[in-house]
Amino acid sequence: MLLSFGPVLRSTAYRRATLRGLAVSLLLGCLIVAPTALAASPRIATLDWTLAETLQALGTPPTAVAQVDAYHDWVGEPHLPDTVADLGLRTQPNLELLADLDPDQILISPMFANLRPRLSRIAPVKNFTLYTPGRDTWQEMRELTRSVADQVDRSQAGERLIASTETRIAELRDRLPEQVPPLLVIQFMDARHVRVFGDNGLYQAVLERLGLDNAWPGETNAWGFSLVGIEALANLDARLVVVEPYPAGVRETLDRSGLWQGLIQESRGEPLVLPPVWSFGALPSAQRFAEQLTAALEAPHAR
Amino acid sequence: MLARASFRLTPGLACVLLCLALVALAATSLNAETGLATGLQALFGDANLTMDALVLHFSWWPRLVMSLLAGGGLALAGVLMQQVLRNPLAAPTTLGVASGANLALMVATLLAPGLLGWGREWVALLGGGLSMALVFSLAWRRGLAPVIVVLGGLVVNLYLGALGIVLLLFHQEELKGLLIWGAGSLAQNDWGGVTFLAPRLLVGALVAWLLLRPLAVLELDDASARSLGVSLRALRLAGLGLAVFLTGCVVSVVGVIGFIGLAAPNIVRLAGARRLGQRLVWSTLLGALLLATTDQLLQRFTGQVSGLIPTGAVTAALGAPLLIWLIPRLRLRGDQPPGSATAPAGRHPAPGRLAAGLVLALAIVTVAALLAGQTAGGWSWLSPGNWDVLQWRLPRVLASAGCGVMLALAGTLIQRVTANPMASPEVLGISGGSAIALILAIFLLPSPNNLTLVGVGTLGAMASLAILIIFNGRSGLLPERLLLTGVAITAAFDAVRAIVLAGGDPRGQQVIAWLSGSTYYVDLTSALIVVALALALGLLTGPLARWLDILPLGASTSRALGIGLKRSRLLLLLLVALLTAAATLVVGPLSFVGLLAPHLARLLGFSRASMHLLGAALVGALLMVLADWVGRQLLFPQEIPAGIVASLLGGAYFMWGLRKL
Repeated sequence: MLLSFGPVLRSTAYRRATLRGLAVSLLLGCLIVAPTALAASPRIATLDWTLAETLQALGTPPTAVAQVDAYHDWVGEPHLPDTVADLGLRTQPNLELLADLDPDQILISPMFANLRPRLSRIAPVKNFTLYTPGRDTWQEMRELTRSVADQVDRSQAGERLIASTETRIAELRDRLPEQVPPLLVIQFMDARHVRVFGDNGLYQAVLERLGLDNAWPGETNAWGFSLVGIEALANLDARLVVVEPYPAGVRETLDRSGLWQGLIQESRGEPLVLPPVWSFGALPSAQRFAEQLTAALEAPHAR
Repeated sequence: MLARASFRLTPGLACVLLCLALVALAATSLNAETGLATGLQALFGDANLTMDALVLHFSWWPRLVMSLLAGGGLALAGVLMQQVLRNPLAAPTTLGVASGANLALMVATLLAPGLLGWGREWVALLGGGLSMALVFSLAWRRGLAPVIVVLGGLVVNLYLGALGIVLLLFHQEELKGLLIWGAGSLAQNDWGGVTFLAPRLLVGALVAWLLLRPLAVLELDDASARSLGVSLRALRLAGLGLAVFLTGCVVSVVGVIGFIGLAAPNIVRLAGARRLGQRLVWSTLLGALLLATTDQLLQRFTGQVSGLIPTGAVTAALGAPLLIWLIPRLRLRGDQPPGSATAPAGRHPAPGRLAAGLVLALAIVTVAALLAGQTAGGWSWLSPGNWDVLQWRLPRVLASAGCGVMLALAGTLIQRVTANPMASPEVLGISGGSAIALILAIFLLPSPNNLTLVGVGTLGAMASLAILIIFNGRSGLLPERLLLTGVAITAAFDAVRAIVLAGGDPRGQQVIAWLSGSTYYVDLTSALIVVALALALGLLTGPLARWLDILPLGASTSRALGIGLKRSRLLLLLLVALLTAAATLVVGPLSFVGLLAPHLARLLGFSRASMHLLGAALVGALLMVLADWVGRQLLFPQEIPAGIVASLLGGAYFMWGLRKL
């Protein structure tokens, strides 16, 4: 380690110094030409999709994100710009490429904490926590948004994002039909197993803000869900809410499943089917879920 | 003495006891749900049922029947496998059925999801059938000789497993449902699975009955069997084909269920069933009851736990300690002709020249791996002084070479000592032990750093070694028993991994990445330590080469030549453990270089122990360095772990070599 660290630090420090010199002279140039360009945002790399969606929503799109294609498949909105660089796998981002891109900051979540020593050789690393068991999820989402915004010098954008999300959700809450039965939010893993979402998760936080009840009485894990066989959904006196996507072939199998048909019979109202929303996301995902849930509850056939 | 004899466990007694336990559990469970009478009625009627009865009818009852069917089918397949392959380590999944089915399901999910709507079972069955066909085609020319079939199965398992892990790494979200399948959940929600499985198992059992007499001939050695006018190839094809069909049917419906197919036949033999007919009947019964009882117990005692407890994996995890306890009590069949340790291969006329060639190849690949690569701007050839980039590449190249050497040496040692081609550092359980410890650390400690992980991993490896020595010390560290113990530990590791991944925790991807043999987490210090260790331990194996030439000749020969069996085995075992633990902590437990490199060296023509060790070490280093480089460049910027690429590269060569034999 000693062998390697000396030259590394020296070379990056040297490069950093030249870069800073460059930046300063550029800034001076800008000051004369256009004072508005002062707020040039830092170049951010992140491994975490939740941080990526928050950055995008703050109007400071990240420079590099891990698994960009998969982000667009599973998080979807807000869409990342085409210029964003793909770092490879979230758990094993390509370090040579990352060093080559030379970001100003790297943002991670605790899941990637073991990469920290390596990443901090490239740029300062900042860790953001969400979904801490035992803490109020919505409160944590707000804090996350604030600290990410502070990190990229966009404090006001952070406050705006929080305010607009909360106002919108309050609007949606007023639009909800009266007497919505308790909901049971599930996502199919295969034809026999579902994730059922509860405490400490994004869906639960949104349900609470909308003033809706979650029917799931059981425990959930640190990520806000519990993996159960569908027989565990019986006798819960709730309306089923299925979050897409259905895994391949599951819908066909469910049509033939006696137990699932029985559960549909028992559901208080036809099961609602919602388009996919990233279940471990932050405010942008929360707002999307709220919009979709409200729209589904309002739809005439849903009565 | 008399009292002891009267308590002697016979297969029948074991089944009766289990059956009583099962009935008691099932009855209390039904009684608690709706009352016994309503519960029994729920089995038959499905019209106008209350929700409780509906759950019983579509979930509880099919699950009970399914557990009986699956357990029985797997145990029956296990007996057939062990009989035909003459290897107590053989399990229903030995021929790659489960990994073939798994890969087929993954590919279908990603490329042709329509197929799954049409029939998921058929996709799985097709995948399992294809992998079996591949194994058979590899071993066909050698008349399906057990050692070749086992090797072929092993390499096909590895190959398909490695492909599966690549898909899993890059499509974690799409494939998360299959992880549940991989952990073997018995949850049911209609009678479809049972009606699919039951007639197929019935046909399988009938065919097994018809094959009973011919298959018994396989207990003789090849020459005697042939002299009875039996076509060994046709007989093996029938026996293995039947076992694979049974396994494929079970696996396609409920997923991977470990332990039963391996353990039930061994328990039955331990309890005194000697003839094939007895073993078939009692194993099937015992397997069925064992799985059903375990499942009932699990349903009863995990009701409060949040999340799914997949029966297949939990059975394997609970079964492992039982297996470890059983092994010293297991009477391994001494009447069997010993199989050859490695696939028979020619001897190279000048192994020295061959080794020099390998050294040259290693040097070329190392330089290429250090200097050629992609960056944000595309392919580039680095100037050797560019430390900005080399600081990332050098540790990885060094570590892959060092680990390749260590795993290859460990593999050669263990294969020669045990005279078993399935032996490898991974099978010995050392890496499994450290992997269990690491998985638990990743999941239980809040954001652990790398030093903690290394410490925990070392503890795990030491615990495995302790288990190996404690449970096998009295038998003089008999190789077969050591391997069986190792297989049990490895099975426990597979189970822990499956349970953890099935839960769908996002940290699962980290576990997959680390488990699959990656040099990603290596820094320069540990890379230098690894290389130094590899050199030091490599030199240490030199003086042991004489033992390795003699030990495979058998216990009596070794003793006659003045080798203390227990002492030499213990020393070699410690060396293997050291090599494996050091390599595992750096590149993870699933690199399979330790299994492949010794075989590859043999195929190349390294035959005597000292040259075999040298050749394997060079092949191991070459394979790992090449694999690491290819893995980093192929899907840039995504990285495929070196262990996976090594399995794919080495596996392809290995299959080609097997076909040539």
